[in-house]
Amino acid sequence: MSPSRSNWLKIFPYLTLAAFLLPILVGLVFTGAPAFGLLSAAGPSGFSLDPLRLLLFHPSLPGALRATILSGVTAASLSLALALWIAATMHGTKLWRLIEFSLAPLLSLPHAAFAIGFVFLIAPSGWLLRAVSPVPSGFAYPPDWITAGDPWAVSLTLTMVLKETPFMLLMVFSGLSRIDVKRTVWVGRSLGYHRLRIWTRLIIPQLYPMLRLPLFAVIAYSLSVVDLAYIIGPSLPPTLSVLIDRWFNEPDTSYRMIGAAGAVLLFFITLLCIVTALLVEYLVKKAAAGRMLNGQRRSPFEPLAATGSLYAMLILLINVLCLLVLIIWSLSNIWRFPDFLPSHYALGNWAKSWERMVEPLSVSVAAALASCLISSILVIGCFENERTLAQTRQISISQRSLWIIFMPLLIPQISFLFGIQVLLVILHLDGTWFALIWIHLVFVLPYVFLTLANAYRTYDQRFSHVGITLSSSPRKTFTRVKLPILMKPVLFSLAVGFSVSIAQYLPTLYVGNGRFATITTETVSLAAGSDRRIIAVYALSQFILPLIGYVSAITVPYVMHRNRQLMRN
Amino acid sequence: MSLALESVQISLGSTPLFSPLSLTVEPGTIATVMGPSGCGKSTLLAAICGTLDPGFSFAGTIVLNGRKLNDIAVEQRRVGILFQDDLLFPHLDVFGNMAFALPAGLSGAQKRERVIKSLESADLEGFQKRDIATLSGGQKARVSLLRALLAEPEAILLDEPFSKLDEELRSSVRTFVFGQIRRMQIPALLVTHETADSPDGTYIKLT
Repeated sequence: MSPSRSNWLKIFPYLTLAAFLLPILVGLVFTGAPAFGLLSAAGPSGFSLDPLRLLLFHPSLPGALRATILSGVTAASLSLALALWIAATMHGTKLWRLIEFSLAPLLSLPHAAFAIGFVFLIAPSGWLLRAVSPVPSGFAYPPDWITAGDPWAVSLTLTMVLKETPFMLLMVFSGLSRIDVKRTVWVGRSLGYHRLRIWTRLIIPQLYPMLRLPLFAVIAYSLSVVDLAYIIGPSLPPTLSVLIDRWFNEPDTSYRMIGAAGAVLLFFITLLCIVTALLVEYLVKKAAAGRMLNGQRRSPFEPLAATGSLYAMLILLINVLCLLVLIIWSLSNIWRFPDFLPSHYALGNWAKSWERMVEPLSVSVAAALASCLISSILVIGCFENERTLAQTRQISISQRSLWIIFMPLLIPQISFLFGIQVLLVILHLDGTWFALIWIHLVFVLPYVFLTLANAYRTYDQRFSHVGITLSSSPRKTFTRVKLPILMKPVLFSLAVGFSVSIAQYLPTLYVGNGRFATITTETVSLAAGSDRRIIAVYALSQFILPLIGYVSAITVPYVMHRNRQLMRN
Repeated sequence: MSLALESVQISLGSTPLFSPLSLTVEPGTIATVMGPSGCGKSTLLAAICGTLDPGFSFAGTIVLNGRKLNDIAVEQRRVGILFQDDLLFPHLDVFGNMAFALPAGLSGAQKRERVIKSLESADLEGFQKRDIATLSGGQKARVSLLRALLAEPEAILLDEPFSKLDEELRSSVRTFVFGQIRRMQIPALLVTHETADSPDGTYIKLT
């Protein structure tokens, strides 16, 4: 590495931090300040606790807090527990490989599209009830049940569990790739331990540290999600994040101060939940330490081991059913209750929606491509700089730097997006492409970093050494040796980033200032009460975009390296 | 065209890995360096190549063809290297791997001609389009050396390149590698555990 190139690379970590940390920090300040009567849009004022007081006495707050904490904490805990249980009971089986194969398409189904499909399944007029109506249920008309949007947020919790368990499973797969599971299980078994004991005593203690940050990200997401809560969450009162969003968008600007106070409260609730998770981890570790060496080979949960595959199949099945019901609705012309399938099909829903969808689709793709491309350049620049630094100063990536990368995922979006919006208005940058791409970058960059990190850091640097000695050109070696060898993980990280960008709802609304409609913002707004057939068309379109990304990430390297056996794995 | 090491010593912290080493390798000759695991054989090659880990400190002078290499960037040293792993680029076929080493500015036809000629010299005619995964261990070793030589290095370093080959293959690959180096008239430095790898049975022991 020539000194000039090393110097040039040093700029990447600073650029990256500025790109995704600066907006968050500034956003937190500008969102939090009105909660204390400062920087208020309602006019000049001084420090005051009135907004907080108004919030605490607001009649909707207790219900909103109950729905938020109940759904958020339950969804995050259940997702982690299910992912670990599925892994412990199924690792190494054929079904485990099927899960691994299904994860990319499962994750490419955006939350909003999934939630819409789930509503179409569980609604009183949904597909599940149609399957048993009119016989044996006896329903000739949809019953008067509350299935979606229940006040205890059970449907919201279920939706999040069904979406976050595959995410946690992906993190489990990633973590397990760094643990020698096969030999650990082999050694454990040779010592007479049951499979579940081996997992709880040998594998999970190694695995959990790698799941800690993803779990915190799931906690933060589950506590603060807005688009899902609008589609399937309770409405009277809604979850805290929805309540805050409504306050921020009230025409009466004084509500924004209560909204800011709510955003601060949500931030601290999230922080409290993360600290509680750390405390629980500490207590479990302490309690388990005493039992670790008690020689107990058998596990009391052995009879339940078969439920692991049951849960996995159920998650897979529900995802497939959600997708199927969306496809059927999008193609249906007349579908009356209790018919199991439509009586008339038509392509008219797609034709009717296409004209209105072109612009949101174009905006979505453009923002996603731009934010992914910039993210990839920044991330690869950071990795190259990290390698150069490691060559000169022996640095290694620490857990602390991972916390920084995870930061945008650990803070509720609504706790800093309003502040960013205020800042952009001050700078006359609201509603610009620059702002839209930047805010997408904030959320895309961590995912690109996390999905690329392992492959990039484990690349055999000797290929580049040989390349440089052969070509005398670091640039040629980088573009013709390193990048092609890393093509598969780079494209996969781009696909992940692309799907993250496509799914952004709140950031697009707040920063776009109403000037940008993406397929996600349109889908969520339609979900509030439009024609099911049109909603299905939009939800499927929202799914198709990331799917194209994932399919490309898999097929392009496959086609390009179809004759290169060593590039297939 | 010679490679000279003058009082070369590499230390980890304050501990030297070996006593100061001085040697001159003449064109077309292969100097062999031996020593137990961890004595610094591969580290010495990394220092000559310019990829020495920063944890190590280097003292002494490396001169290649009258050029002092100490402060020259890796890509400008013109030192080729062969490892025990072939390190053929997995995304390229045999032709792509070899053409990568050719200097810029050659036409497609010139590149083809040079690669084909090089492959013929190693009894690998018609291997241009082969995926490297389909090559045998000996074929990979030969392609790897041919690739290194196509870059026209002024010296070549051999980091236990025969250690992963079985006995029979080891002998034939060794003969091929040494023959090519002598034909190219470039100096080579071989580090190995095996006395038998030394072309003339002599070696320098790192102590």
